[in-house]
Amino acid sequence: MGEVILEMKEIDKSFPGVHALDHVSFDVKCGEVHALMGENGAGKSTLMKVLTGIYSKDSGSIIFDGKEIEFHSTREAQEAGIVIVHQELNMIGDLTVAQNIFIGREPKKGFRIDDKKMIEDSKALFDRLKIHIDPTEKMSELTVGKQQMCEIAKAISHNAKVIIFDEPSAALTEKEIEDLFAIIRDLRSQNLGIVYISHRMDEIKVITDRVSVMRDGTYVGTLITEDCTKEDIINMMVGRVIYEKPKEKSLVAKDAPVVLKVEHLNAGHMVQDISFELKKGEILGFSGLMGAGRTETARAIFGADPKQSGEIYINGKKVEINSPEDAVKNGIGYLSEDRRRYGVVVQKTIIENSTLACLEDYTNGAVINKGKEKEITEKFIKEMDTKTPSSDQLVMNLSGGNQQKVVITKWLVKNCDILIFDEPTRGIDVGAKSEIYKLMNALTAEGKSIIMISSEMNEILRMSDRIIVMCEGKKTGEIAIEEATQELIMDKATRDIVA
Amino acid sequence: MDKIKQNPIVKKLGFNRIVLVAVMLVMYFAFCALVPGFFGSAHILGALNYVYFLGFLSLGVTFVIATGGIDFSIGPVMFCCALISGYTLMKFGVPMILCLIFSVLIGFCFGLWNGYLVAYWTVPPFIVSMASMNIAKGLAAVYTKTQSVSWPRSTDPNGWFRNLVMLGKIPMGLIIFLVAAAICSFVLNNTKFGRYILCLGSNREAVRLSGVNTKKWEMFAYVMCGLLVGIAAIFFVGVYTTVQPGYGDQYNNEAIAGCVMGGTSMVGGLASIGGTVIGVLIISLLQEGILALKMTKDVQLIITGIIVIVAVYADVSARRRKN
Amino acid sequence: MKKLFKEQKFIVLIVAIVLYVIFALLSKEFRRYTTIIQMLDFAYYVVLMAIGVTFPLITGGVDLSIGTGMICYALVGGFMIRNYHWPVVLAMLLSVLFGLVIGILNGTLVSVMGLPPFLATLCTCMITRGLGTLLVNKQAVPWPTNKVPEGWFHSIFKLTIGRATKIPTGLIPIAIIVIIMMFVLNHTRVGRYTIAIGSNREATRLSGVNVRIYHIAAYAICGLFAGLASIAYAAATPTVQPGTGAGLELDAIGAAIVGGVSAAGGVGSIEGTVIGVLFIQILKIGLPFIGLEANWQQIILGLILIGAVLVDVIKKRKEAAL
Repeated sequence: MGEVILEMKEIDKSFPGVHALDHVSFDVKCGEVHALMGENGAGKSTLMKVLTGIYSKDSGSIIFDGKEIEFHSTREAQEAGIVIVHQELNMIGDLTVAQNIFIGREPKKGFRIDDKKMIEDSKALFDRLKIHIDPTEKMSELTVGKQQMCEIAKAISHNAKVIIFDEPSAALTEKEIEDLFAIIRDLRSQNLGIVYISHRMDEIKVITDRVSVMRDGTYVGTLITEDCTKEDIINMMVGRVIYEKPKEKSLVAKDAPVVLKVEHLNAGHMVQDISFELKKGEILGFSGLMGAGRTETARAIFGADPKQSGEIYINGKKVEINSPEDAVKNGIGYLSEDRRRYGVVVQKTIIENSTLACLEDYTNGAVINKGKEKEITEKFIKEMDTKTPSSDQLVMNLSGGNQQKVVITKWLVKNCDILIFDEPTRGIDVGAKSEIYKLMNALTAEGKSIIMISSEMNEILRMSDRIIVMCEGKKTGEIAIEEATQELIMDKATRDIVA
Repeated sequence: MDKIKQNPIVKKLGFNRIVLVAVMLVMYFAFCALVPGFFGSAHILGALNYVYFLGFLSLGVTFVIATGGIDFSIGPVMFCCALISGYTLMKFGVPMILCLIFSVLIGFCFGLWNGYLVAYWTVPPFIVSMASMNIAKGLAAVYTKTQSVSWPRSTDPNGWFRNLVMLGKIPMGLIIFLVAAAICSFVLNNTKFGRYILCLGSNREAVRLSGVNTKKWEMFAYVMCGLLVGIAAIFFVGVYTTVQPGYGDQYNNEAIAGCVMGGTSMVGGLASIGGTVIGVLIISLLQEGILALKMTKDVQLIITGIIVIVAVYADVSARRRKN
Repeated sequence: MKKLFKEQKFIVLIVAIVLYVIFALLSKEFRRYTTIIQMLDFAYYVVLMAIGVTFPLITGGVDLSIGTGMICYALVGGFMIRNYHWPVVLAMLLSVLFGLVIGILNGTLVSVMGLPPFLATLCTCMITRGLGTLLVNKQAVPWPTNKVPEGWFHSIFKLTIGRATKIPTGLIPIAIIVIIMMFVLNHTRVGRYTIAIGSNREATRLSGVNVRIYHIAAYAICGLFAGLASIAYAAATPTVQPGTGAGLELDAIGAAIVGGVSAAGGVGSIEGTVIGVLFIQILKIGLPFIGLEANWQQIILGLILIGAVLVDVIKKRKEAAL
């Protein structure tokens, strides 16, 4: 390991209502792989975005190569030698590999783009990385793994001194991960500084030299990878104060009937052979890290995405669900993690959103009974304490928490018995959060059943009667609330991937 | 300015619409000042003649634009309806009433075809429009053997249908159009169909995830448009009597102009029938005024083109500011 | 080789040849040399328009103004020759320049002002139609015939020796243009970024490309080619009629899409477009020879357009299902 090439000191960043980074410090040395870890929303991505100029920092300093710097765009950062390899790839599918690598800075020969030189340079880059990709192949025809290699090649071609990998292995196969590690080791030996963001505990052990952990926008500490155990890292990640007391025991009667049974559900590589049961009046928590396949599972059950195989039983009866229409008919409601995109129609009023799922109950023939519609909406506004001047307010004028209540209203108006809540409190302030919790408890007391997907450990432990943990598209554990601990859940969620 | 906008009466009527009415009045008086003898019922009736068919076209395309789509085959389809049903009347002596129904039916078929391709096959609406435009022109020309078709005059035995346009001195066409607009407004704001198409124009995925069959309803919007285009054809021949194969394009833009001027958003999700009605009145008045000024149809084409660009740009930039 | 057989343009080329053979077998007249000459006459302006519109199509947009635009530019050029005795070269230059200006206007509306391409160009379609008629005062405009010395420009496309001998000289300039444009699309920044914008505009912008300018450039090229097409149109028809031209864009856009340009953007080639034009022209000219009324052309063209897009849609769905 060499001298420190990049140092971030006391970085502070706030967004309206959120203190995203609280005086965080972080450094990278030449020739090391430095892991950055933390739960979802711990501030890793925000920190990297501040570094690469996507966000501006409120205070603190960044010292790179001995000079204090501040970038205003990823391009500036790139030119200086800090490159980020994104989780979502920024590629242009219809161009070839070489064309992608050199886009925006093509070598020219008169009017003509010097494709020959581009291809040769790409080949040289790939040789340096010891990978075999044909630079003349179309980007969209490569596997995700190879596309990622191209991103890395592009990063190196910028003469990068620091490369940030943002969850690079999320979409890769084991063989591809091995190739990736070979490349990273190679880059390390060439004295580059590497930041490696990942959730996979065993990868961290295999590839990194040091591990820094963040939690809730603060810096927790740094460990030398060789000297620490997986448990050490997990303890640092989850060691937060639990504000709310976890549920002590399940509130569901032992003999409660099963309302939803899913058997051997398969949908793409994110949903592999998922089976579980949901009991009447239960809150079934789905825990796991980002990209574990929880949302995909929910969408497949709900019919929003096609599934390859699997059976779904409702109240013991087998049902065919091939579209959201079928799911809603069978009494399933889905509250999406991305409220604005999939939950509400923001340009429409609360009333219009509330009855969207069951308009047929509020029509005489084809004509909407506006009085009845208003009545039911206002009843729920009152019951749920939705804060709005009136029921014909546009949803875009409501706060996040109240928008969420509108989505819940939609499913309650439909009188769905099975509710899938995907990150129900994401982006919602503390007050509204506890209201939503109260509401969920009231719903289960009424006999409704809830599947709750959440990335927040607090939420999972506080709300669930039973917890299912997923990792890499597979179910890795089912834990009764009486036995659940943060450590146990995190252990299941970060199952060993690389032997 | 903001104070005026917040006034409850202004809010109720819509600031946009008030401005449009003002524009219309200013335009009317400007024409009166420029053209001797423009003031009076003759020119108003002239403008209204244009309103009848253009109004139905505009109403129809409002439904399609509300879903975030577009249909610019409406002009040629209207001609196709008028030509095919008119030719059937002329050659085979079909009863008038059947002939009118036939016209609406042809419009319906085009709407179904357009809607099916857009909704179920995700063919881009502009491609579908382009194809339908040519299919409509081709079908009409093949069927009529490229002859123009004249519908019966009011003195002819079958001329009773002209009462739909003008009953003695009562402009029936206007009454029918306003009733139709009221119905459309009701459909858009008070029925399941209207609710669904406005919502899916605004956020298709959220509506689908609410368990709504979005494809079906999107197709219905095009069908609705087709029906109204079929009706527009009746009013067109009721006023202008003769239709020639191979034309009709220019009305596309005028119908779309009436619609977007009235506050219907090209991006989908927002539509106002009241606005469309005022938009159509403005376009029709403009047409009458331009003719009275002894200028040609071409000026109208240019002005309409510019109006659409300005209206859509205003909408696009307003949305950008909001985000 | 196997890959070649799978390419849409190659299949279309085969179909075009088969179609030609069928027509030739069925109709004696169709086999004649004059038919080929006639077919080429009407193919020149379509191919020029089609090459132009390939660029906006690849960006994921469209230009509906090329048909009426072409007429407008031809009218203006011819008008200057007839009424102001401009030399033909100057008039041609004016036509092309006019096309370029409208193209830049279209590009600005789409790229800078953010209007939907079909809507913006539908408007300029109407505007050019009105403008053309107004500028020439509603008169039909004849360009000089090939009988007079000013009619020399006819020989760019068709050299007439004596009374009957006609040589399709137009193939040479068209071939040169096709080669140049293949070069532009495949080997210059303009072409490269046209594809990139159509494939992923945001990623292109983040790569530091000035997407606005290059987006405008795609439409400018299209306008320029509509201008060039106007010269070919003037050479092919005795007089240019104001108020016409609507629907001509369909031939060009249809040809491009049949030739493998994706309506969703990002994919397309000049040679594919040229093959598409060949296919559509053979069909259009050939149908009347086998006894089908000319009006069927429009219907069939519309159906082919839908068919070509459906092929693209189905292909994409299959890929997504994998």
